[in-house]
Amino acid sequence: MLLFLQSLLNGILLGGIYAAYSAGFSLIFGVMGVINIFHGEMVMLGAFITYWIFTLFHVDPFLTIPFSIIALFVFGYLVQRFVINRVVEAPPMISYILTFGIHLIIAYTALWVWTADFRTVTTSYSGFNANVGGIIIPYARLATFGLALVVVAGLYVLLYKSEVGRAIQATAQDKEVARLMGVNIRRIYAITFGIGAAITGIAGSLISTYFIIFPQMGLPYTIIAFCVVVLGGMGYIPGALWGGLILGVVQSLTATYLNSGISGAFTFILLFVMLIVRPSGIVGKGIVE
Amino acid sequence: MKKRLAPVIIFIALALLFVPYVGVSGYLIRLFAIIFLWIGKTGCWNLVAGYTGYIDFGAVGYYGIGSYVAALLMAKAHVPFLISILLGGIISGLVALFIGLPTLRLKGAYFGIATLAFAEAMKQIILEFDKTVGIPFFEGPHGITLPIGPGNEFFYYVGFVIMVAVIGITYRVERSKFGYALRAIREAEHAAELSGVDTLKAKTEAYMISAAFLGIIGGIEAYWLTYITPHMVFDVLITIQMVVMSLLGGIGTVLGPVVGASFLTIIYELLHRDFPYTYGIIVGFIVVAVVLLMPKGIAGTLTAKFGTKA
Repeated sequence: MLLFLQSLLNGILLGGIYAAYSAGFSLIFGVMGVINIFHGEMVMLGAFITYWIFTLFHVDPFLTIPFSIIALFVFGYLVQRFVINRVVEAPPMISYILTFGIHLIIAYTALWVWTADFRTVTTSYSGFNANVGGIIIPYARLATFGLALVVVAGLYVLLYKSEVGRAIQATAQDKEVARLMGVNIRRIYAITFGIGAAITGIAGSLISTYFIIFPQMGLPYTIIAFCVVVLGGMGYIPGALWGGLILGVVQSLTATYLNSGISGAFTFILLFVMLIVRPSGIVGKGIVE
Repeated sequence: MKKRLAPVIIFIALALLFVPYVGVSGYLIRLFAIIFLWIGKTGCWNLVAGYTGYIDFGAVGYYGIGSYVAALLMAKAHVPFLISILLGGIISGLVALFIGLPTLRLKGAYFGIATLAFAEAMKQIILEFDKTVGIPFFEGPHGITLPIGPGNEFFYYVGFVIMVAVIGITYRVERSKFGYALRAIREAEHAAELSGVDTLKAKTEAYMISAAFLGIIGGIEAYWLTYITPHMVFDVLITIQMVVMSLLGGIGTVLGPVVGASFLTIIYELLHRDFPYTYGIIVGFIVVAVVLLMPKGIAGTLTAKFGTKA
């Protein structure tokens, strides 16, 4: 029973971080219909920003988050403004391939500059745990989980309560009408991508505090983000939370009771079945083409 | 293909048959064989994605299944090469039937993600099957060692045959009623359905043909490599390479895969050994430039410019 609870808790904590780095993927898909293959590279960039600031200036990883936010927002804004906006009206296939090209450029440039070394961010409090009735709760993961919830909630508030959020929603719903209402579509696209990139950067910073980071880490993160977003419903932001938690718990339980390799197979079988049976996601609010 | 292009292609094909006899270095024979096999794989991907518009991110799944079927048959049951690769092709084709029927109903990105999930699941299952079930069969991450095969000339000719077969099938399909059905699906699936095209049947057939040939190529390459692991033959980068090669050459054209696969393989040979990281960066820039500047690919753009239907 203790093993079950521990494994469940691990799954939930893992799910929170899945949700945090998948929410941006869902946002970008929901507004622009772009499947962003270099999503994982944005996680990697966020993680490396934290790593370098921590290593060079000994700043606490959690305090480096604003740098990730700013850097990734600017990056996302510029990429959308000057590159992806040029194909946003083209068939979706074109945007996959374009973002795949950008994935190659970022991943290989990072590999060239930073080499293939595995790196970690080890703080003085990295190994600290709370022990609640036999269940071990690592503080770093708990803090990460809390921040991940804040990120998803913050994105939700931004989308539904702010001026920019209303413009983003209007654009997602009907871009022609939004344009007639005076919304600058291309600018909104760039801002949306910037926001998506910024929250992904936060997730990257958080991940660096307990996962190994390296320049080629991106692609698996992109694939997991696919899974999470499909489970929760494509383009439906709170769905990222549902998808993340389900995936985290399923992976954690299968890893505990079967083995960690087969939990990877479960992820993909779950994704496959989900797409066929219920493409609109667990709560049925995703976009279905 | 207009008449003036056909004799040129036949001449090149015949000339290629004699390349190993004119004292070319073993290195070049090997390079040619690699290019032939990439043209074959890319051609298979192009047959589905280029003509029906369904972007398959899991094509490597069929390649990997073919590799494993051939490797298991040859290493464990001592079945001859030709029978092993054909069985690999047949089994890949049948798996494609079961995977295609549900997934080909999905649209756009959803089809791409589902196929990606299929290929990744296959890799994980083969990796973990032995440990989970307790029977040594796929040998997990250790992989399978095949009998030592013949030299590069053998694979040159085998690769040549498979390349000609895939190009030939694409050429035939493009000019058949079946090919029109596929393109109708790409342009307006609903309208095609209304005009009496059995779209699911047409899509599934194209998908199965493509998977069967990918399976055969997987078997051939397994025998050439003599050693395979799930990480090698289910590598998502193989699918990605097919996508990039098709795009570079021109998606939905007969000669697109030929141009794209030759171009990228040669770039790889030139850069990879001396500049391993710049290869990835340069390919990335080429992909971005092609998408932004000539979305029809090299062959597609030339066709549009000179009016030669290739």
